[in-house]
Amino acid sequence: MTEPTNATSTQESAPVAATSGVGAPLLICLPSATAETVETMRERIATTLQGHNLFLATPGGASAHPAHGVTVVDYPVASRGDAGWALTATDYLGAAQLATEYDAAATLVLGNEAASLSVAGLQALAEAVLLGKADLAVARYQTGPHDALVSSALLYPLTNALFGTPAHLPLPLDAAFSARMAKRLIMVARKPNNAAQPEPLVWPVAEAAIASFSVKEIDAGPRTLPQPTDTDLNTLLAEIVGSLFGDIEAKANFWQRARAPMPAKPNVEPARTASETEELEDVRAMADSFRNAYINLQEIWSLVLPPQSLLGLKRISRAPAEEFAMPADLWARTIYDFVLAYHLRTINRGHLLGALTPLYLAWVASHLRQSAGNAATAAFHVEEAASAFVAEKPYIVSRWRWPDRFNP
Amino acid sequence: MGQQIESALRQSMHRVLVVLVSFLPGVLVFLLAVILLTAFGLLLAAIVKRILVAARFDERLASKETAGSPASISDWAPSHSPTLLVARVVLWACILLGVAIGISAIDASYSANSQLEQFLLPYLTHVLGAILLLFFGSLLARFLARSVLIGAVNAQLQYARFLSLGIKWLVLVLTAAMALDHLQIGGGIIELAFGILFGGIVLTLALAIGLGSRDLVSRSIEKTIDKPAATRDPEPFPAGETPRPKLRHF
Repeated sequence: MTEPTNATSTQESAPVAATSGVGAPLLICLPSATAETVETMRERIATTLQGHNLFLATPGGASAHPAHGVTVVDYPVASRGDAGWALTATDYLGAAQLATEYDAAATLVLGNEAASLSVAGLQALAEAVLLGKADLAVARYQTGPHDALVSSALLYPLTNALFGTPAHLPLPLDAAFSARMAKRLIMVARKPNNAAQPEPLVWPVAEAAIASFSVKEIDAGPRTLPQPTDTDLNTLLAEIVGSLFGDIEAKANFWQRARAPMPAKPNVEPARTASETEELEDVRAMADSFRNAYINLQEIWSLVLPPQSLLGLKRISRAPAEEFAMPADLWARTIYDFVLAYHLRTINRGHLLGALTPLYLAWVASHLRQSAGNAATAAFHVEEAASAFVAEKPYIVSRWRWPDRFNP
Repeated sequence: MGQQIESALRQSMHRVLVVLVSFLPGVLVFLLAVILLTAFGLLLAAIVKRILVAARFDERLASKETAGSPASISDWAPSHSPTLLVARVVLWACILLGVAIGISAIDASYSANSQLEQFLLPYLTHVLGAILLLFFGSLLARFLARSVLIGAVNAQLQYARFLSLGIKWLVLVLTAAMALDHLQIGGGIIELAFGILFGGIVLTLALAIGLGSRDLVSRSIEKTIDKPAATRDPEPFPAGETPRPKLRHF
């Protein structure tokens, strides 16, 4: 059995130069920064990460002169889509190639709105890799019950359960990686599968896990989370979840053997009842929408889900908004069944991912009702879902190996 | 009178027997050609399947397909295996070749001025074309019906199933009309019936969507009219009230 990858959190903000080897080349990439952000970040980097041989890579940076002890270099990006809200394969490829070129000991890639990343978060990300604590450090931000819902519902629980790496944002916005991780990222980002996608994604946490590299999650405090410019949730969800399902399919040999740690649930105060919360109006609309989806999509869901799960969904569709709740174990099994259907091509993959959207929105409605606007309760609900995914992992392993076995 | 009847009967029986005698060898050759080519097709399909399995054709094809692509070859393949699809295509190509050889054998066994030959042979190809039309039409109808159903549900349309059924029947009616037209059955009646049915379905859908979306359209128009007001500074929330946080999926 493969041991779980080490992942811990930190909020320490000790100066990096004081504790790590002075002079180590450190590359910071800002693939999508504006000129104003570059200036802000150059000053911040110079003061925060002093003592290192600092390189700041930005598009068109070759024309800039060294200042504040930071050498600005050109970021070699051929084209960049309008993803912006997460790092893509293009970002990793550009950064990793520069890291190899400048022989960087550590590379930081910072996404859109990098200026809103806290100094402590920036330091902690760099420190995690420079001190050799991790090959990959990904940031985790302070989020409320309404933020990063796709990650909370799907990406984090799946990545944690299957790859044994509890990273709350498996598709990070800011990340730091070591030289050997850079080499791996170059290899992954150049895969022909990625080249065919309009905005190819790389799942660095899963890559680090299968390479037995250590992963560290950094508490980076509050940060502005940029949102996708394309507001069509159905398209975006299908793109991201399809990419993750594809990655899971490609790494099946690993995750069937890997053990996942049970996530620690935070201590929370008892939640307010739903009737007291202002979310109830949203929940009511979403519950109605789910009822409509249940009536119409039963035929398609029945091709993917076993009767027991369909029965569970039927119960949810009949529940009033005040009691609307997606049980964690049902949610985990449903997602695992979708992963399996994606692998087996039970139905057209576009249809499959489209049929997942109403179920995801039902989870969101359940999350809003149960968290009742409280960040701590929301975090508890997310960890509860993640625990269910870990507990139900034998289900996906068994069905993956013997998909034709009777499944009530 | 009796002799004339007997003579006419004998002559007609003779003609039928002559036709049968000239037809039977053709039928036998037809059957033989189909059986032989089917056996050859089975053998060829097995060989092709082995070669493709050895070359990991399915895996190679899957790795080239993108996640966001709406449809892939695997979706149309039996058991979602492109290898099986190619093997079956080879088999059916051989069977069709056998049928073609058999038909030409029947053709050869007839006299040049036979009415049956002039009618049957082209008609068989039309039947084959009609079957293919129906097959692909029903596949397309199912695919489009599902696409519309999922799209409509995700757009939170109440009449999603109705819309999906409408699309499905539109394509099926179109396919059936094309198949019948290809078979030259019905003539003008089919065209007329198709026009009425197709127009009826479109009108029903338009009415249903129009009536069902009245609120949606009026809200949209209201928004457009109110748009200049939106350019002004937003009105502050009443004291003690804060705006509800927006859902951020990413």
